[in-house]
Amino acid sequence: MGGLAAVGLFIDRAGMRVRAKIGIVFSTVGPYSAMGRDCRDGADLALLDIAADPACPVTVEAVHADPGGDPRRYLDAARDMLREGAVRHIMGAVTSLARKDMIPLVEKHDGLLWYTCPYEGFEANENVIYTGACPNQHLMPLFSHLLPRQGKRAYLLGANYVWGWEMNRLARDLLTAAGGEVLGERYLPLEETEVSRLIADIARRQPDFILNNLIGPASHAFLAAFRDLGLRDPAFRPEACPVLSCDLSECELADLEPGLAEGHLAAAAYFDSLKSPANAAFKARVAALHGPDRRVSAYFEGAYTAVRLFAEAVALAGSDAPGAVRAALHGGVFATPHGPLRIDPRTNHAALPFHLGRINGSGGFDIIASRPSIAADPYLVVDRTGAGRAGLRVVS
Amino acid sequence: MSAPGFSGWRAVVLHAAGEGTDRLVRQLGLLGLEAVVHWQPLDLARTPADVVFVDADQGWGGLLPWGTEAAPVPVVALLQSEAPGRIAWAIAQGASAIVAKPVVAASVYPALVLAAAIHAERAVMAERVRHLEERLRLRPLVHQAVQQVMAAKGLEEEAAWARLRLAAMQRRITLEQAAGDYLAGITRLPEVG
Repeated sequence: MGGLAAVGLFIDRAGMRVRAKIGIVFSTVGPYSAMGRDCRDGADLALLDIAADPACPVTVEAVHADPGGDPRRYLDAARDMLREGAVRHIMGAVTSLARKDMIPLVEKHDGLLWYTCPYEGFEANENVIYTGACPNQHLMPLFSHLLPRQGKRAYLLGANYVWGWEMNRLARDLLTAAGGEVLGERYLPLEETEVSRLIADIARRQPDFILNNLIGPASHAFLAAFRDLGLRDPAFRPEACPVLSCDLSECELADLEPGLAEGHLAAAAYFDSLKSPANAAFKARVAALHGPDRRVSAYFEGAYTAVRLFAEAVALAGSDAPGAVRAALHGGVFATPHGPLRIDPRTNHAALPFHLGRINGSGGFDIIASRPSIAADPYLVVDRTGAGRAGLRVVS
Repeated sequence: MSAPGFSGWRAVVLHAAGEGTDRLVRQLGLLGLEAVVHWQPLDLARTPADVVFVDADQGWGGLLPWGTEAAPVPVVALLQSEAPGRIAWAIAQGASAIVAKPVVAASVYPALVLAAAIHAERAVMAERVRHLEERLRLRPLVHQAVQQVMAAKGLEEEAAWARLRLAAMQRRITLEQAAGDYLAGITRLPEVG
């Protein structure tokens, strides 16, 4: 298929292409639209690649819906797609709020929901394929790398919905287990940009680092105000007090004032700067369509990968029947821009590599530590404190 | 609140085996529990359990061995019916959470957390009640000891109380125990001042 060699082989059906339908539900406007747009663009690029590949035995027909960032409209979009019975696969949602809204409907129709974004874990549903990272693939390796180097006195910020609440709850558990301390914990609505009291509190408490689980405008307002604090007081510059995130990516940096977040850190399964032949080929495809300046985020790559995965699994299964597609996913190893990918038959989650990126001056991330693919442990059954994990490989 | 973990827990599912129990057992496996499905009266000696899921639609008296006694482990009702009698039956067996049938994956962890938390809270409350009942039972002993201290030391009632309480505190025992020991001549009261 296109520039990427699929490890899961396509079955030649004597020129017969299997038809498969998928509904794609991302918000390209609204408070988290940067992520939604990257997801949508990633999915669209994969659709183009599949359509252009004569060797691909699958014709993917996509139906798009754009809920515009309104949580209530995800359910309507999914209902419209599933009602006719023609669509049995839905890819989408950036927020857990929207995903959890759609799951009961997908279960009822025995379809498959493809969720491609990093999330807070504590979910494993037979009717959902999770290709984004959960906490043992982002927050836990992030802390196990950072706490010994940066200190254990943290200030926790979060969007006031399940992502912020659960990420900070887990962060508190991990910090407590490591003998650390939570100096403050604050929640903001996505659209809240009044952060002066929060900044004053951080200035007073002097944490070793800040975990930023804010989303959208709130996160951007915080980063801007924290940069200003750092300009007034060197104790709050990134090298002294970094802001950590498990969801900040290239797509949001493009919306920020240049250099605003430079030096801060983020965890992801994919960064644009990843050096590998597979990623170079992938980025060439992105550049051909979107121009050479487009940075690719984990959201873009995640949705791209998931659509390709869908087509490959349909090819292996010979149909888009959800049960058969799921079985094909469980049995295969699939080539992706971030490396070979497996889906765990127990959890339906992808095993994913961990990368720690430092935001550079050119809208991207310098990868400063990495770990090879980690099996997802959504309920933290294997390791609840992060203590059981091996150390990271520091690459610079 | 930190996220409760269930790694290594043993679950017994008292329900006729089928698609629903398969889904339940699978989800319990993801949460780190080892689950077995039985559809016969539970014998905890032969099938040890840390939590019991029971079919409240079809369950009968005697399915669970504890009868009207407090359940020794958390109990989760698997329930489809809305019949008040079936809900009452589940409550009588000690159920403190419900997983509605047909079982959906997302309902299992919340029910498990709730049942375990309520079971633990009930155990704490039962222990506290037992302790208070014991103290209530021994109250006449305290009264008797106070009278004797007043007579022996020539103290007012309040001072006699204080002396007895000091003795209990110093030995880290309850007032009732201190009173009993004093009356039995086992201990002498500390001199004050």
